[in-house]
Amino acid sequence: MKKLLSLLLVGVMVLSLVACGTKDKDDTSKGKGTKDVSELVIGELHYSVVEDGGWAQAMHEGIVKACKTLGIDTEKQLLTRENISEEDIALVESTVEELVDNGADIIFGCSAGYATILAEIQPDYPDVIFAQQGNDVYDNIVEFQIRGYEGEFLAGYLCALLNQGSNELGFCASMDEASVRTALNGFALGAKYANPEAKVQVIWADSWYDLDIESTNAETLINKGIKYMGMEASSPAIPQKCEEKGAYCIGYNIDMEANAPKAVLTSFVWNWAPIFEDIMKKTAEGTMKNSANYYEGGECAQLADFNDELVSEDIQERVNELKDKVAKGEVVIYGGELKDDKGNVLVAAGQTMSDEDILAQEFFVENVVGGK
Amino acid sequence: MNLIVAILSGAVVYAVSVLYAGIGETFTERSGVMNLGVEGIMLMGAMSGCVTAFHTRNLALAMLIVILTGAVLGLIFAFLTVTLQSDQTVCGMAMLILGTGLSGFLGEDIASKPINLKFTKIPLPVLSEIPIIGDILFNQNLLVYIMYLLLPLATFYIYKTRWGLKLRALGENPAVLDAAGENVFAMRYGYIVFGTTMMAISGAFVSLAQTNVWQEGMTAGKGWIAFALVAFSSWNPATLALGALLFGFISNLGSNLQIYLPGVPTEIFSAMPYVATIVVLIISTGNFRKKHTAEPAALAKAYDRESR
Repeated sequence: MKKLLSLLLVGVMVLSLVACGTKDKDDTSKGKGTKDVSELVIGELHYSVVEDGGWAQAMHEGIVKACKTLGIDTEKQLLTRENISEEDIALVESTVEELVDNGADIIFGCSAGYATILAEIQPDYPDVIFAQQGNDVYDNIVEFQIRGYEGEFLAGYLCALLNQGSNELGFCASMDEASVRTALNGFALGAKYANPEAKVQVIWADSWYDLDIESTNAETLINKGIKYMGMEASSPAIPQKCEEKGAYCIGYNIDMEANAPKAVLTSFVWNWAPIFEDIMKKTAEGTMKNSANYYEGGECAQLADFNDELVSEDIQERVNELKDKVAKGEVVIYGGELKDDKGNVLVAAGQTMSDEDILAQEFFVENVVGGK
Repeated sequence: MNLIVAILSGAVVYAVSVLYAGIGETFTERSGVMNLGVEGIMLMGAMSGCVTAFHTRNLALAMLIVILTGAVLGLIFAFLTVTLQSDQTVCGMAMLILGTGLSGFLGEDIASKPINLKFTKIPLPVLSEIPIIGDILFNQNLLVYIMYLLLPLATFYIYKTRWGLKLRALGENPAVLDAAGENVFAMRYGYIVFGTTMMAISGAFVSLAQTNVWQEGMTAGKGWIAFALVAFSSWNPATLALGALLFGFISNLGSNLQIYLPGVPTEIFSAMPYVATIVVLIISTGNFRKKHTAEPAALAKAYDRESR
């Protein structure tokens, strides 16, 4: 019996080897830049599952949306690989190899941590475009980033407008890191634009994901008398705490209104689809340059639909007006004069901060209270 | 004063979220079995509760499914460790990995979706009117009130009843009980299943009372805290409650100190609960205090009739 079983297993293994072999042969017909865009095969790498209710989900939805617009069949031509740890170099490498074997034309690294590995293995796959979320660091992979501060600027503006009779706003932050500072500083600048006296009290979870600490922090702010807050967190714990205590907040990553309909005014959402669409189109045309870099604002850094129950039409209009002004360049978010929370001048009057400094975020703007 | 009320009532909620699992693990370990899979089982409880609540809109049914989920996992664990006498540490880790992975897989469809059905706060008549204490203790959700009853019952059971005596003997020297004609295997099965059921309820507390959402890995280490608190409490539910309250109090305090003590790095406050745990652990179990520890002598040892 055992012998029979092992023979059978060997047989299966041999067969599977043969199967792999034939597939490889098919793939050699693939050349660079000769495809119709709807024939592209897309691979995506995620550090978590795509239904994480946050970062990964926004990325995945962006890719799906771009695929649908371009007529790419997401059932067959979108290869999603979840739980690929950024620390596990061997796993990332073997997953990339497997994606390429399955015909991937573009591989999206959906978390900053993949950059080093992808840049290193890119030369082994010259026909594949590697697109990676991150700042402009490498020349051989496409990098993309969203000007998240634009959306947070509007969020802070909205909260300060609603916060009648008080200058104090709150912000629940996760870890002290550039992307979190981007959100916090953007929010504070927006609040200041609406009300020059507005202060934003930040409170840190010192953790990327901890429901207890997140909701405790929200409660602490509410107990201090704060009614409106922004957040940089991945769970709906903060909106739910706000709802319970009669306070209001701006959701983050995805539209959180349904999770706490009595508390979420709107949400900051990542809209990656326009960037992905462009990368896909150029890849199909054969004009995608490996050294390309995207740093997009506008429609990419949006607020979700307003909660009509909580935000009056008049206020909605004012926020939308500001949005247009930012888009037209009439309002420059990181324009001078801008001071940090210690009183040092970051940007002199009449000047604008460089993208490099905006990306690095090595400061807290002057109306942030409780920065590190 | 409001601040104190907020900190303490937050501490109560935190404590209860780990106490169900903690009491479950206490009974399991008292029976001589160590279940390391607390976190995984909590996640299964959190997931099954949310999935049921999402689809049926029935909280009672959701809790029934949570209890059944816990029981089924308990039966698997008991079969492995009691009947097959496998290594409890390894099986516990297996339960942990199984629970974490399976809950993520089965809960995928409702991940992050609003459930909008939870255990809301019910102020108890009269009792909630008591100044300060009323707000802290008697303006909570149903699962917290059940814990108020469960805690003294569990302590009474272990120390004051005949069954409790047998339970303690089971963890110290199962052979004696066997010789006395008790069914060691059935008892261990029972306590393991009770334990995992309680762990599953703890998970459901996180997903259906504290918050109202399912996300993969949402218990974020609570299972381990419950597990550690059991040893910290010397396997005594009353001390366990004190430990959980202390932990909850300190983490709530830290959040407030960020605002009221600006200038101190917030990481110091974030580390406080863990520092406090180490300090209390040293005080409560350190060698200098007593030579005898309360750890059940037969803990983590499979009972085998043939090899006595």
